[in-house]
Amino acid sequence: MMYDEPRFLPGGDRFLEIEFGNELNLELNFRAQALAQAVTSEGIKGVVEIAPFFAAALVHYDPDVISGEDLEAELRRLIGTVTAAEDIEIPSRLIYMPAMYLDPWSAEAIDQYIEKINPNKERDPEFIARLNGLEDVQQLVRVHSGTEYWVAALGFWPGTPFMMPLDPRCRLFAPKYNPPRTFTYKGTIGMGGAATAIYPVDGPGGYQLFARTPVPIWDMQQRLKPFREAPYLLRPTDRMKFVHVTREEFDMIERKCEEGTYEMNVVEYQKFSLKRYRDWVASLDLNARF
Amino acid sequence: MLEVLKPGLETSIQDWPGRQGYLKFGFPWSGPMDDWSFRLANVLVGNPVGAAGLECQFIGPTLRFQRDGVFAVTGADMQPKLDGQPVPMWTSTAVKAGQTLELAFAKVGARAYLAVAGGITNEVFFGSRSTFHKGGIGGMGGHAIKAGQVLPVGDGRGQAGRRAKEASRPVIVTDKRWSVEVCRGPNDDWVDEAGHERFLATDWKLSAKSDRGGFRLEGPDWTFTDKAYNKPPEHGSEPGNIVDHGYPLGAINLAGQTPIILVKDWPDGGGFINPYTVPGCAFWKLGQSKPGETYRFSVVSVKDAQARAREITALCNESSIEQA
Repeated sequence: MMYDEPRFLPGGDRFLEIEFGNELNLELNFRAQALAQAVTSEGIKGVVEIAPFFAAALVHYDPDVISGEDLEAELRRLIGTVTAAEDIEIPSRLIYMPAMYLDPWSAEAIDQYIEKINPNKERDPEFIARLNGLEDVQQLVRVHSGTEYWVAALGFWPGTPFMMPLDPRCRLFAPKYNPPRTFTYKGTIGMGGAATAIYPVDGPGGYQLFARTPVPIWDMQQRLKPFREAPYLLRPTDRMKFVHVTREEFDMIERKCEEGTYEMNVVEYQKFSLKRYRDWVASLDLNARF
Repeated sequence: MLEVLKPGLETSIQDWPGRQGYLKFGFPWSGPMDDWSFRLANVLVGNPVGAAGLECQFIGPTLRFQRDGVFAVTGADMQPKLDGQPVPMWTSTAVKAGQTLELAFAKVGARAYLAVAGGITNEVFFGSRSTFHKGGIGGMGGHAIKAGQVLPVGDGRGQAGRRAKEASRPVIVTDKRWSVEVCRGPNDDWVDEAGHERFLATDWKLSAKSDRGGFRLEGPDWTFTDKAYNKPPEHGSEPGNIVDHGYPLGAINLAGQTPIILVKDWPDGGGFINPYTVPGCAFWKLGQSKPGETYRFSVVSVKDAQARAREITALCNESSIEQA
């Protein structure tokens, strides 16, 4: 639920967490994003940085410049301004991301987990399909790739996105691995809870896996154009659309990415209107599935 | 220039306060674990308090100076020797080109800090020279220093024979038991009263499975309030699971039943609750403790923690220096 009043939770001497509610829902993240945007544009003295997450935002402040009480008062004022607005428009890039669904690399990581850690683990795509009442794994591909994803937060590791489907008809749910997996290929796409993430580098992980992208989201060599300014691709409030590719296309794109010749499709002319989004959601048949 | 002959166990370039301002892209601050000793080392050699130096963990490096200069070693006692001759800790020392500085194992404490006049001048990455080696960024090539590397040093005119007053230095315990300040929150209302009492009455043991990202603690199980059980399913099935949120530096992060103190290279978001947070004023204690040592936590208010941090900062300047 969304709280009537946001909660201000201190995190030691330099952090304040503002919690807008206690569930995964886009409205809560919009509030966190809008607050972060307002704090950044107004520039509260003493605020070093603000990091929005799903239903909360974390503020890092300098207590020698602003007291915790004054900071809370300033933030309450900004939240009031933001929520009173008729509409909020957030600049939002759209990134087309090639993805091979039901790919061999996810399968390899799952095989390894079944062999070494948990022989009773149901394979991830079949597990998510069954849990969400889908006909088969092909429908999982249709549903998962049938929506734009909202980059609700970056965290855990530099540039790692936590994304939520914007189309409510494409909402899926999957618990995290318990215990976690020891290996995942970089670029693997997976789900935990209602969030979709991409693994920036090879490593351990806990999300259920079903796809992989050949395009990096983290590149210290900054080979492709969207990486010119920073080694990470994504920013909060970006949107991502997965485009299903074959193995041949995957290999071709991977090669071009390594050469630095892959032309990424990043659309920069749009703003995301909260009001228009709400109106559109209200017009949908939420029981429909792709 | 400093030539690395032996790198030590894990010696990394750090500056203070580190890589701040990029939390929303998932970057931790990095920077020195014990920022009290670190800043005093810089004051001793005449650098700005935040200039980049070396954090030497458990076993120190052996370094050859390629030109004349001034250095100081603070923090853990790694018995520094210059060309085989002992040199005092907490004191600035002159060095000639070609001389070799050797730091041994940490006899008292865990991390020593080496500052050189002029500071280390490796490339700045996103506002900081600090190493975040799990992310492969900052420092030299993104990792702890390696044998054969040459660390660039800036121009600086330090003075030898300056000593940090004893009363201005952190007192590193020798009985393996630390008393560490904590602030309640952000998620203290997920833990029940018995859980809080148990947390504050326990000597928590620092696990060997700890690094610059997290300090794992060994101790009793936690108990929770209703809030930890009656929650929407997207929080996750364990009582300590919460909708993924941002983690403050110093958070005592409850991963299942294992508390992990999130330290300088921390993962800055995830799906576990943080019932307590270790404030900045206690970080030097974390930096100077070794696996196997214990922490007893005591609650302080946010305001008291801020006041204590100011007291430490007030010691990290010329007022703390005397002639040796």
